[in-house]
Amino acid sequence: MTLKLEHVVKKYKDFTAVNVLNFSIGKGEIFGLIGQNGAGKTTTFRMILDLQEPTSGTITWEGKQINSVNRDILGYLPEERGIFPQMKVEEQLYFFGELRGMKRGEIKKEIDFWITRFDLEDKRNSKAETLSKGNQQKVQLIASFIHKPKFLILDEPFSGLDPVNRDLLKDAILLLKDQGTTILFSSHQMDNVEELCDHLCLLKRGVSLFSGSLLDLKKQYGKTKLTIRTDIPVEQLERMNGVKSVGKDREDIVLTLLDESYAKPIFEVVSNGNYIEKFSLDYLSLDEIFKDKVGGDNE
Amino acid sequence: MSKFWILTKQVYKEKLLSKSFISLSLLYVAIIAVVVYWDNIANLIFKEEPINISLVNETDVDITSIFTSNEDIKFSYSDDSTDELYEQLESEEIDAVVTISELNDQLKADIATYTPLQLNAQSTINSYVDYASKIYGIQSLNLTADDAEKILNSQPIITLTNLNEKMSGKSEGEKTSGLFLSYFIGIVIYFLVTTFLSMITTNVASEKGSRALEMLLVNVKPGTHFQAKITGVLLLAVTQFAIIFAAIILFLYMKDTSSTDSSNLGFVESMIGDISVSYLLYVIAFVGFTVILFLIIGALFGSLVSKVEEASQALTPAMMLLLVGFYVMLSGVANPDTLLIKVFSYIPLTSGMVMPMRIGATDISPIEPILSLGVLIATVVLGYLFSLSFYKRSVLTYSSGGIIQKIKTVFKFTTK
Repeated sequence: MTLKLEHVVKKYKDFTAVNVLNFSIGKGEIFGLIGQNGAGKTTTFRMILDLQEPTSGTITWEGKQINSVNRDILGYLPEERGIFPQMKVEEQLYFFGELRGMKRGEIKKEIDFWITRFDLEDKRNSKAETLSKGNQQKVQLIASFIHKPKFLILDEPFSGLDPVNRDLLKDAILLLKDQGTTILFSSHQMDNVEELCDHLCLLKRGVSLFSGSLLDLKKQYGKTKLTIRTDIPVEQLERMNGVKSVGKDREDIVLTLLDESYAKPIFEVVSNGNYIEKFSLDYLSLDEIFKDKVGGDNE
Repeated sequence: MSKFWILTKQVYKEKLLSKSFISLSLLYVAIIAVVVYWDNIANLIFKEEPINISLVNETDVDITSIFTSNEDIKFSYSDDSTDELYEQLESEEIDAVVTISELNDQLKADIATYTPLQLNAQSTINSYVDYASKIYGIQSLNLTADDAEKILNSQPIITLTNLNEKMSGKSEGEKTSGLFLSYFIGIVIYFLVTTFLSMITTNVASEKGSRALEMLLVNVKPGTHFQAKITGVLLLAVTQFAIIFAAIILFLYMKDTSSTDSSNLGFVESMIGDISVSYLLYVIAFVGFTVILFLIIGALFGSLVSKVEEASQALTPAMMLLLVGFYVMLSGVANPDTLLIKVFSYIPLTSGMVMPMRIGATDISPIEPILSLGVLIATVVLGYLFSLSFYKRSVLTYSSGGIIQKIKTVFKFTTK
């Protein structure tokens, strides 16, 4: 494993922000750290980045203590957007590149590539403060990975981006993954996590509720999400064996089952040997699992 | 290039090319130009006719060589009667009538005006009358010309001998030069500190508030960031000081080469001639360490606030201290030997403005400036070490409330 957190604890006097956290990330993997606000995600990031010291536990990168690793292999996009407002876009990217030990020729190549990819060509010489929020975020994103870091941490990279730019970012993340960058990111938008992550860790008030592959998490719940389109009244469906809850999604009725095995008897009742327009059994979405795990009060 | 120099270069370049630095530097140059060329400007704008004074000499004393005209006052001798002269006064053809007469073996001068004379003209007439009175006294004693010359030109010979070898006795010229230079240095420190203290605080606060600092600190240690900020702004302060100094020398030189009166650079040269090398070294050390101390405080306060808008509030205590030091220094221009001056010459944040005045304008034991400088350097070192350690903890801690509350929050969230 490339990054390994073992029994990591962070306490602030009488408050425990992170409580015995364990997870590991393999090389070139995309790992999601999800949790509500105040779950300890940013504190975990800061400890990994050596911006804060853990109260106990160890964090290692390729077997070495994280605080002894060359800082230039790291890239970080903080949750709250921050760039130098008075600096021009290109100047800003040169500055961050040079700071991470790149030569100007290399930086220029990277700037040209990413500026074109993120459609910022006409903003090269604009001051950062004059850009729209979305464009500022794109500039900051480029700044965080212009030096091709081995390990990149993205704290809420999708917030504030429109669907087009969100897709651009997703493509960029996948490209970095293909180039061998290990990526750790947090997001409140579970569809993005589901789409990108190989593995994840679910945090609640500093405690890890789950750490492992996305499929394993889903398997924990089993295929318990049953979507049907039928004329049978909701009240009747609620009374059926194994039905935990019933909800409506436009024309569809969504049933959450106690177990996958209840699906077959329900199918027999609902279809009654006739044609049925929709009957779909699937895993719960990450969003639904997240709500179930953390208590449903995710923002 | 190391990360330290990349950051230092970024701070220096950004601020050097900022509108505020350029406009402030231009303002300083303009003020210096106005001060150096003030008499030329005043002549151009406020060109005035010389004051016309009519002299009536009723004594046997020859006053023509005493009351000499210059560009401000023009003396003329009139045979007109007093009434006629008074009429000329009323019609403002002349500005004053000075009648020199004798009364009880003393010289008497009656000065009549219609519009009161300016203080400057009044003083000039008084000094001429005073000199004429001495001539009158000498003449009435029937002395020889040589004797009279001796009396008039006799100057006491004053020698200073200090039996305490630790105390150096300074001549009046040295003290006056020291006072002038110290006054200038005090003003320079005041303006440099007010400008650059605010600059470093807002710079750090702005990076912290915009979260750009979080990105930087992933690749740069907080200590390196802290040092780079102080170095960058210090280099900028040196640049501005060099601009001010170069402007003074340039304008004085230009004025000297363009006029026959070569008293401008001569004045500076004579002032520098009165100043010892050790004094200059002391001044450089005091200015340097005082500016560094305030920059350390500025960076520390910048790291405490959560957004740039709070920077001015955080700066208030340091600004107040600076202002106190400045006013104490100003009080020393009238009398640099007061207890107040002595006390403030040892307080680290004010000693840079006050101690150079004591060194230059008073007779103090050589141990005193060394002691004061030692206290200042020790404060800079301790302040630096404390600030460096605190900066690492405060720079990523965000909290609301006043400065004390922010310090408490930093300790709460960073103490193990």
